[in-house]
Amino acid sequence: MALIATLLALRKDARILKLPPYLSAICIIVGVAWLLVLPLDEYSRNTYVSENALLPGQVHTYFTGSEHNIFRAYRHEVAGLADRSVEERTQRLSDIFRSSNLKVATQRYSYQAAGRNISNQNVYAVLQGPRADATEAIVLIGAWTNMDGQINHSGVALVLTLARYFKRWSLWSKDVIFLVSGDSTSGPQAWVDAYHDSHNPDTIESLSIKSGALQGAVAVDYPAGPWGHRYDKLHIVYDGVNGQLPNLDLFNTAVNIANGQMGISCTLQRMWKHGDSYQERLQTMLRGMISQGLGHASGPHSSFMPYHVDAITLQTVGDGWHDEMGLGRTVESLFRSLNNLLEHLHQSFFFYLLLHSKRFVSIGTYLPSAMLIAANFSITAIALWVQSGRSTSPIPNPASTSPPSTKANEKPETTMTAVKTPDGSTTLIPTPLLSITERALFLPLSFILFTHFLGLLPLYIFNNTPEPYLRLSFETTLALTTALPLLIARALSLFHRPTHQETTLIQCFSLLLLGMFLAALATLNFSLSFLIGILTTPLSFVRASRNRLVALPALGVLLALNPVVVIRAATVYWGKDVVEILVQAAEGWHVWGLWTQVVVWLVWWPSWFAGAVVVGSGLFA
Amino acid sequence: MPSFLSLLLLSIILATVSAGSDYTERLLLRPLPQSALLASFNFRSNDSQLSFEEQNFRYFPRSLGQILQHAHTKELHLRFSLGRWDAESWGQRPWNGAREGGTGVELWAWVEADDEDEAFSRWLTLTNALSGLFCASLNFIDATKTIRPVMSFQPEGDHSNAPNLHLLHGTLPHEVVCTENLTPFLKLLPCKGKAGISSLLDGHKLFDASWQTMSIDVRPTCGIDGHCTLEMEQSVDMVLDIDRSKRPRDNPIPRPLPIEEIKCDTSKGYNAGDTCYPLDKSSEPSWNLTEVFGRSLKGACPLTDQEGENAETVCINTPPERTVDVNTTGSYIESRAVGDTLRCYKLPTGHDFDLNLPSQQMTTGLVLPSPPLSAARSINGHGQERGSIQTVITNPSPTSAVEFVYLESLPWFMKPYLHTLRARISASPENPVLETYYRPAVDRLRGTHLELRMRIPAASTLTLSYDFEKAILRYTEYPPDANRGFDVAPAVISLIDPAASDGRGQYVRTTSLLLPLPTPDFSMPYNVIILTSTVMALGFGNIFNLLVRRFVGAEEVVAGGGGLGALVRGKIDRLKGLLGK
Repeated sequence: MALIATLLALRKDARILKLPPYLSAICIIVGVAWLLVLPLDEYSRNTYVSENALLPGQVHTYFTGSEHNIFRAYRHEVAGLADRSVEERTQRLSDIFRSSNLKVATQRYSYQAAGRNISNQNVYAVLQGPRADATEAIVLIGAWTNMDGQINHSGVALVLTLARYFKRWSLWSKDVIFLVSGDSTSGPQAWVDAYHDSHNPDTIESLSIKSGALQGAVAVDYPAGPWGHRYDKLHIVYDGVNGQLPNLDLFNTAVNIANGQMGISCTLQRMWKHGDSYQERLQTMLRGMISQGLGHASGPHSSFMPYHVDAITLQTVGDGWHDEMGLGRTVESLFRSLNNLLEHLHQSFFFYLLLHSKRFVSIGTYLPSAMLIAANFSITAIALWVQSGRSTSPIPNPASTSPPSTKANEKPETTMTAVKTPDGSTTLIPTPLLSITERALFLPLSFILFTHFLGLLPLYIFNNTPEPYLRLSFETTLALTTALPLLIARALSLFHRPTHQETTLIQCFSLLLLGMFLAALATLNFSLSFLIGILTTPLSFVRASRNRLVALPALGVLLALNPVVVIRAATVYWGKDVVEILVQAAEGWHVWGLWTQVVVWLVWWPSWFAGAVVVGSGLFA
Repeated sequence: MPSFLSLLLLSIILATVSAGSDYTERLLLRPLPQSALLASFNFRSNDSQLSFEEQNFRYFPRSLGQILQHAHTKELHLRFSLGRWDAESWGQRPWNGAREGGTGVELWAWVEADDEDEAFSRWLTLTNALSGLFCASLNFIDATKTIRPVMSFQPEGDHSNAPNLHLLHGTLPHEVVCTENLTPFLKLLPCKGKAGISSLLDGHKLFDASWQTMSIDVRPTCGIDGHCTLEMEQSVDMVLDIDRSKRPRDNPIPRPLPIEEIKCDTSKGYNAGDTCYPLDKSSEPSWNLTEVFGRSLKGACPLTDQEGENAETVCINTPPERTVDVNTTGSYIESRAVGDTLRCYKLPTGHDFDLNLPSQQMTTGLVLPSPPLSAARSINGHGQERGSIQTVITNPSPTSAVEFVYLESLPWFMKPYLHTLRARISASPENPVLETYYRPAVDRLRGTHLELRMRIPAASTLTLSYDFEKAILRYTEYPPDANRGFDVAPAVISLIDPAASDGRGQYVRTTSLLLPLPTPDFSMPYNVIILTSTVMALGFGNIFNLLVRRFVGAEEVVAGGGGLGALVRGKIDRLKGLLGK
């Protein structure tokens, strides 16, 4: 009880408001440090296959011998189709599948995004498991073109050869679907949407043949031409749309089979050389986080994730001595493992950060870092709320035991109010202590509402502008968003607004929302929440200040961390064209159901905008 | 131009065979495209109703007969099925679908009882007894899996003297049919798999088939003279993959063939020693009975007729040009029918019999009758809360409309919204639903029963869809493999065809479905148990210590070291202290 009384007494203490900035700073520092220690052995774990049924690498693979001759022939066939029309290609691929006695169907699709028309055709074949009851299916994907736009010669040929080879086996407990999608992103998306009947039948054809519930999907990306190319490693791509990840068991099975059974080393996140040192682990993790944070489709497998179908892409990289049959046997063994599954993959982790092909951090270990960053905003928001309710006149501490300072005599005399306590005695209390400060909520609340609605504008514009106008609209947005906070602050200052309390409240609500959004987002897409959290940390510390020495650097920092400027800087840093990124984002919005831009324009940008207006208002006050 | 020969006559011949005699059996072999082979085994035993009631069993198996008597079952249909019938390649189903069931086990029976409760208790008796007889989980057909179809099933037998009949129907879509079901099936036969065509039935090959169904049908038939017999028909239909079945049992792995054995397309420009575009096999594969079934046919069952049509127990349905060599040491008789497309053999008794078909380049083929309807059903949507079912039924006939009854039996945890039921016909605004029978589910007591009588015009497609909600089960109601999903029984489509004459009806079944339900994280309770156990242990340990232990100061402890002596001395001192007071 004594402790509670002390705490209650501290409530009104002026010193309590000095604490939150330090608390926030500690949260941020611990949050970042937390992330940095994750690659250490003590905080990460070795991967393991959790689902007993998978039994990776326990079967002999027989995809050799004459299958190689057939593979080469199919690769020539695929190469012959490279410059043919889509219809011819579809027809020929269907014929090859049909000659293996499979059920074949095709699907046309077309999407409109950023003024572009994406239209192509998917071909797929269903191997009806001889003893299966059509309730479950696994998918093998060979996209016609890979993510870099190269024709996936050997990948498609491998799918055709494996289709012919798998047909001879009677052990399939699930149907096997072989999908040659028109491209690597929209094709699989159209197919998997139509498979679950959540497509728009006007532009995307419905599937004429379906099988059971999809249990897993594996895509092969092997663009080597008709004369082949020996590769060094398998690059396993696992990021899904919106940062969703496949079950770790699927990744582990692929690594286990490729590494342990076939002797092909695996790599991830474009880490071509990985010596398993701290730096490399950290780099892998950060690359994974950026990829997850952006939430874009990273291969044909990405589209499957939103439907709770675990999927990965096996990509061949480098020059080495492994050939196509090694990849074929890896796929064979992987499918035999998936075929063993009795239940949907659920045993292992869905939320993880990979540091190495055999090392990971699970959500319980990494989540606190993003949560701490998000908490820092909430702490500041609460502090600002408390501060906004304080009276601006100083409150003396009449019961102070410290000796009165030398300037005590100069202090104006505080007015005292006599208060009668129930037991009849009278006590004198400083009047400001009893006065109630009203919070003027109208302007701050309407301002926050306005900024969040304002975010809809760029969201709409970037998702719907045709490609030729994207650069112009991006540059305009860049200029406008830089100038707008200052203009708004200036305009408000003409009306002698906002008052000090109002700026505090604006910042309070903005940070409160930011903290809540980021905490919720951290459980869904950790990386995005963390990245935005880091980029918005200055918002916790900037205040409306009339001191130009304080306000100008703060404004400078904020202007540099404008989301549009950050996007621009990132494209310059990675040497990407900003239009290309915007086109991909628009495609993501219209085709894959990408949500990153919603977070950027409706969470990040409004909070930045509010912060910049607050700092600007200090300048003009 | 290959000439095509009709098979329509054939089904009539097969249907009319064997009326009257006491035991008949017949195996029909029909090579199908893509090196598949349909093998239809049919066994039929008759006993007079009178001797059956007197428990005087001759061909009718006593074990089954007594169960039927005990459960007052007048007509019984039991199906064990596995795999899918590929109507696109294989055409119409054997027996027009009347002798097959949905994936897993399906059972329906007409039970004589005074009221519904009694009928249900007799039905439970029946399912429990059959469960023991056939080593199947038929006892899991409880109230939630039992429905009483109104329009879909008609009795095949003659029930003029049994007025209070109740039809009950139950399915187990998740039941895996295997050899333990085949063995009791064979034991019901008079020759018990030792002779006759049943000697070919081998579990390894039967359950390696691409599609197989075992059925038992019991029905009473009455002649015009009022003499009634009880007929039991057992049939096994399977589609074997000839290539797969021919692999020896000790080496079943389909290794890649040596390159010399693959026919390459030499016309391709890239054809080389290491590059081979495989050509399709154009010739019919070679096979014989011993290879394909893994056993030899041990002559005729001596209980079959020795004369007449019923004595011909093995028939093969091929174009006349196909070479069929008979390999036996005994004497056999071959007869041909239906324009030579059907060759039937009277088997020798006591001698092995084999049919040998060499690899042959064919110029003619058989035209397979096309199915009257084809149906595909799938679950659409995703997520843990809702979904929708879509059934696409196609009528390929260019001229005639088809009327049928669509029967859906859904588990109670899948709750359909009937108001979302939509039935659309391609290119026609008319409503195809003529009549609806709907009995909603009651949680944990009974499942949904939906029957729709519909009409589909010629050459059109009917799309039936409805939404449903997924219920959340109690923790203990989940099976051990909860994350697999829950099986939903196949829909049964029974055609209403006035022209059908054999009294069995025509049926099409869809595949079963897998319904993923929201599944709790089952490791969570263990974590909770571990945590609470720890807390309990800590709390209990502390309180126990406080209650039981005596805390003494260090200096109060009697000096003189530890050991047994000190302990005993301490006890004695304490005792003295107690006594001293």
